[in-house]
Amino acid sequence: MSAVPGLKEDCEELLGAFQQADTVRFERFAELWRERRFHTIFYGRIRALERNKITKKTLDVAQQYFFPPYSFQIRVGALYLLYGLYNAQLCQPKQKIRIALKHWPEIQKFQLDLLDAQHYDAVYIFRRLRLARAFHFTAMPKLLTYRTKKKIEKNYFKEEFKDPSNRVNSLITNDVLEELMNIHDHYQKMKCVISADKSQPDKALSLIKDDFVVNLKDITLEHQEWQQNRMKLLRNAKVAPETEDKKKEETLLKSEGSERANALARIKYKSYSAVVEVSRSRRHRQVQLESSESGPSCGKSPGRSKKASRTPQPARRGSSEQAAEEAVTRHIGMPIIVEEDSDE
Amino acid sequence: MAAVVPDYELAELYTRAFRVGALGLGWRRLLGPPDLSLAVEGEKEEEEDAAVAAALGCVPGTAAELRAVCSIDMLMSSGVEEDPDVIPEDSSLLTLRIRRKALERREETIIVDRACRQETLTYEMESHATGKRPDDPTDLIEEGELLLTLNIFYPVIFQKHKDHKPYQTVLVLGSQKLTELRDSISCVSDLQIGGEFSCQPDQAPEHISKDLYKSAFFYFEGIFYNDKRYPECRDMSRTIIEWSESHDRGYENLQSVKMEDYVFNDLSLKIGFPYLYCHQGNCEHIIVITDIRLIHHDDCLDRNLYPLLVKKHWLCTRKCFVCKMYTARWVTNRDSLAPEDPCFFCDVCFRMLHYDAEGNKLGEFLAYPYVDPGIFN
Repeated sequence: MSAVPGLKEDCEELLGAFQQADTVRFERFAELWRERRFHTIFYGRIRALERNKITKKTLDVAQQYFFPPYSFQIRVGALYLLYGLYNAQLCQPKQKIRIALKHWPEIQKFQLDLLDAQHYDAVYIFRRLRLARAFHFTAMPKLLTYRTKKKIEKNYFKEEFKDPSNRVNSLITNDVLEELMNIHDHYQKMKCVISADKSQPDKALSLIKDDFVVNLKDITLEHQEWQQNRMKLLRNAKVAPETEDKKKEETLLKSEGSERANALARIKYKSYSAVVEVSRSRRHRQVQLESSESGPSCGKSPGRSKKASRTPQPARRGSSEQAAEEAVTRHIGMPIIVEEDSDE
Repeated sequence: MAAVVPDYELAELYTRAFRVGALGLGWRRLLGPPDLSLAVEGEKEEEEDAAVAAALGCVPGTAAELRAVCSIDMLMSSGVEEDPDVIPEDSSLLTLRIRRKALERREETIIVDRACRQETLTYEMESHATGKRPDDPTDLIEEGELLLTLNIFYPVIFQKHKDHKPYQTVLVLGSQKLTELRDSISCVSDLQIGGEFSCQPDQAPEHISKDLYKSAFFYFEGIFYNDKRYPECRDMSRTIIEWSESHDRGYENLQSVKMEDYVFNDLSLKIGFPYLYCHQGNCEHIIVITDIRLIHHDDCLDRNLYPLLVKKHWLCTRKCFVCKMYTARWVTNRDSLAPEDPCFFCDVCFRMLHYDAEGNKLGEFLAYPYVDPGIFN
């Protein structure tokens, strides 16, 4: 089945706006719907046969957003969208919304969640759809016609609508951390037992970092925060595609990016511009600073720049290392060795 | 029979096999009487606020508020009369902008823009039985009945059908027998009349192949369902079963049973998977079950109309070579009077060309009655 052109974009735009509104109230959705005059989506001189086909496809597209892995707010929005589309359609008798048996438990759970959270408008709307017998209770969501030759479109999930998939958290859960903590303590105790000094383990036995469990926890928390920030940033970036807002979002992203680049460039400049005064015996190998032409290294890979910032001791390193680095990062004010280096 | 939840075996293509009746069970135990009801659509009676409040666990005041806030009027055009044929000028919807461009293009290029007869036929077939109710209440379909949608492919092999094989779509009820489906499938090979009749054109026998060769079978999930209603019917699947058993070919036990003993609810099927219907000994049709769902009050509810044909392929009929007007009824081979081999004639032209006034055969030729695949148009 070929798609209705523009439909997915319109639905996603409406759902995106609903997500931005950060509410699940039907009133808000209705406002957004009326703004866009969404009920006109079936307009146009369409004959009956074509209209049936288009309406079926429209309901099918909207229905996809009603199920996981979409976030709670998007699913409520999809429910409202289905309500609107079902009632706005021009087919007589109305085209129905298909629900597969495997999805029904998810819907029931969703209803319970809504009731618990007292989102009565969503529950009421689903109830109204059900009473209007707007559903076809089917075996599978789509008609399966064994079209092997046709390219089966991979289901494209809009990133912003999904609940952020937190793989790190699902791997390193609280249970895992607790267990690790216990094992760590046990290990420390074992070491103490076999050491000479019973209160602390021998120095020879210190083979791991003592605080690694705490570090692990911190890292996962950091990751989670980063992910949330990234989602927020993505969401902000997608707000209102009008030109002046576009500029704002561009500058927002750009400023984020360039801020970092500027900070890194500053650090590099500081570390490499300070030339170490070598000892008298090595005076013949004194490094001289030569600056290069280009400015801050916006285009450099973050990996390398991170390395530079995380090892703030290039002055400590010998000149040979600096020569090796110089070949890689040309555009920073690197000190250039006057003479050829030899093994130190 | 335990309830079952169908799911994909091969993603987006076909499901695992399951008992059809179990799907019905699965749905019926989850839904309530209002969902399954087939009663005629009532007027938009608003629910009592008290009923809503009881169901939602809120106060009736909230229920009244909900009724006002969530009314569909909140989403419709505000009182202003709109013409659905006119796309608003300033629409913010991408769908409408694209649609308007397409419409403008059509206005420029198409002289007359209306439904051609194929489109009318397709639409009529799709919707003619919608909502039909029988006069006799015993013919009314029961609530909770299952409706299967089958695509039955034509056996006709034309070059132009290489990529999209033509098919017809049939709706059957879960409680219907396989034999009812078998009787409803109209295939051109059933109407063939075997034999060469150049010497006696008026004596083409009345028996068409359908009457002579009554055997047929369905193949679903390793079981052959053979038509054994008449004494002439033979078990055509015997050959296949013997073949598979003769060597270890890797097929599970293939069984052979009687078609008339089974209804669709008894079958184990995969949705979206090709199966076989074979009749006339060698006329094979692929059958794909595309959908199974519960019956709805807007469907056709007259049991006598099922199996219901909702879509068929329009095949152009071959016309007589002489008059180019009538559908061909005869085909000749090795015909000294015809310009090509084989050559098709309508009845009148055939007799005029090949026989004199007394009915004597003129020239050398072989003539066979011809049934055009487009006969079911």
